[in-house]
Amino acid sequence: MSFVDSLLAGLALVGNVESFLALFGGVVIGVIGGAIPGMSATMAVALTLPFTFAMQPITGILLLLGVYKGGIFGGSIPAILIKTPGTPASSATILDGYPMAEKGEAGRALGMALWASCTADLISNLALIVFAGWLASFALNFGPPEFFTLILFSLTIIAGVSGDSLLRGALSALLGLLLATIGLDLVYGTNRFTFGDPNMMGGLNFIAVLIGLFAIPEVLAMAWHPTAHLGKTRSIGNKWVTFADYRRSFRSIVRGSMIGVFLGSIPGIGAAPAAFLSYSEARRRSKNKANFGKGEIEGVAASEAGNNGVAGATLIPLLALGVPGDVITAIIIGAFMIHGLQPGPMMFVLNVDIIYGLFMGLIVSSFFLFFVGSAAIRGFKYVADVPKRLLIPAVLVLCIYGVFAVNNNIFDVGVMFVMGWVGYLMMRFHIPAAPFLIAFILGPLLEDNFRQSMLMSGSDWMVLFRGPITWFFWSVTLITVVAIARAGVKSVRDHTASRGKKA
Amino acid sequence: MTNRTVQLQLGFGAFIAAIFLIFFAIPEWVASPSNVRNIILSPLFWPYTLAGFTALVGLGLIVAGLSGSNDPTPLNEPSADAPIALLRLLGMAAIMAGTMILLPRLGMVWTCMLAFAASAFLVRTRHPVAALICAVVVPLALYAFFAHVAGVAIPQGNIVRLP
Repeated sequence: MSFVDSLLAGLALVGNVESFLALFGGVVIGVIGGAIPGMSATMAVALTLPFTFAMQPITGILLLLGVYKGGIFGGSIPAILIKTPGTPASSATILDGYPMAEKGEAGRALGMALWASCTADLISNLALIVFAGWLASFALNFGPPEFFTLILFSLTIIAGVSGDSLLRGALSALLGLLLATIGLDLVYGTNRFTFGDPNMMGGLNFIAVLIGLFAIPEVLAMAWHPTAHLGKTRSIGNKWVTFADYRRSFRSIVRGSMIGVFLGSIPGIGAAPAAFLSYSEARRRSKNKANFGKGEIEGVAASEAGNNGVAGATLIPLLALGVPGDVITAIIIGAFMIHGLQPGPMMFVLNVDIIYGLFMGLIVSSFFLFFVGSAAIRGFKYVADVPKRLLIPAVLVLCIYGVFAVNNNIFDVGVMFVMGWVGYLMMRFHIPAAPFLIAFILGPLLEDNFRQSMLMSGSDWMVLFRGPITWFFWSVTLITVVAIARAGVKSVRDHTASRGKKA
Repeated sequence: MTNRTVQLQLGFGAFIAAIFLIFFAIPEWVASPSNVRNIILSPLFWPYTLAGFTALVGLGLIVAGLSGSNDPTPLNEPSADAPIALLRLLGMAAIMAGTMILLPRLGMVWTCMLAFAASAFLVRTRHPVAALICAVVVPLALYAFFAHVAGVAIPQGNIVRLP
């Protein structure tokens, strides 16, 4: 199929009112979900997922992508107005956004956040279109040993950067991998931890696990501390962002977008580190360095460009390699699976119309985000006024319906509740949940590729080092482990030294 | 709980869990055909490998906990009313258990109405009337979507059946 044929096939798939309505609706849901503190973009995507079951695959996936894009921007609104990031990716936006709000320039900060987000989103989507196809055609050469080393690298980096410590991240990933062993064995079909229950023979339902891990802990956290969400909302003020502000911050926006694209395309890093790196680079190179942290508009632009630059790029490993780049794309992979689609290099051969349809939808989503975001900035007061203590029971009920709807099975609702408690304990013990979920998804793939490698080589371990691709992934895995371990040791030493000085 | 305490608790927990897996859970609950010639291809290999790594990570956490600084700063924000908060958590556990028991008997809509109202009052909502209205409207709206738009067979229970 030529490029033009693929483009036309994609257009035929998305060129209808239903697809654009889903995308628009997704952006609206995402902005609102991201703007409600404690809700987060991840939870918004997870709760929207069950509504996509009855839709056409492309419509459902566009809805979720709209929620994703909207959610990342939406998180900046409470970050600026009430100093509480709606989503972890917006943490860096607080640094300059809230001081601007204190000075009565919240409208200006929010306007810049929106403009930077839309620009970064567009750059990120273009990067996805350029690189995903290239990477997929390269990945067609991958065999089981290459995929095994790629997944191992992804899990290592996810475990390393998701939380406070590599060991806790590794523990989380191992627990996810262990949970993924439940069910029938991939080769022999024998039982593993099924306890004779037919409900467990197919393994635990992925949607039940993810909704349990990411939505139910919020319900339990609300039970623990019902008034934690209450905060004072700042007014938007009279000052609005100008084109001169945008032009002055343009370099930082483009740089932040590039940082976001680069970090987003590496599985596991996610939006928050990209936002902080983009912010620190902008501060380092800015003429107004001294004003950063005190209400510098370029700081808001840089952090928002960093986190939105990730949004399209995380889809590069998802679509090209079948490896989710972060938790939200891990949820989106669920939507693909439910509709019988398997993201990865073969999708660029078998479902090229869906790929190009998604590309077109993503480009349009940047424009939708601009209009929806502008309205959301003015309407945040109403979103902030939604009583959280009514919203959380509604989330609980929605989770019950959504999880049941996957397989029409009450057992899955039980799995969700149990995973909710696991997620809550992980939250209390500061174990990151992202490595757990991504390991749970990638676990069967990791084991399958390992065993296929062993089968094809007659159990010769050297097959895992058979060529430059496997060597590359082993090297970057090793470098990642060493770098993260060194950073951990250094931070402990610095902490001890600073405590010693204080004493 | 300080960072060090959490690190040590996690380390011991992971190590004990790994030992339990290696010596009891895997031999007991993972079946393997007797004719598997190579251990690497056995269904037991992967769980044993993961359990082994869990034990190593557990030991790593213990060592890190013992050698790390003894910073007295608590890891989580202390709750002013911890015993009551704990009771609320237990209440939420009871709501979840009750939901599982009532779902096949009362049906999803009625069970969710009860779960909504109970959890809203458990978190001391400031809008009791709105909570009751939402407790009725939200499950009904979700029923309408999932049963009539998505075509999901929502459990109806034995008492009152909806169209």
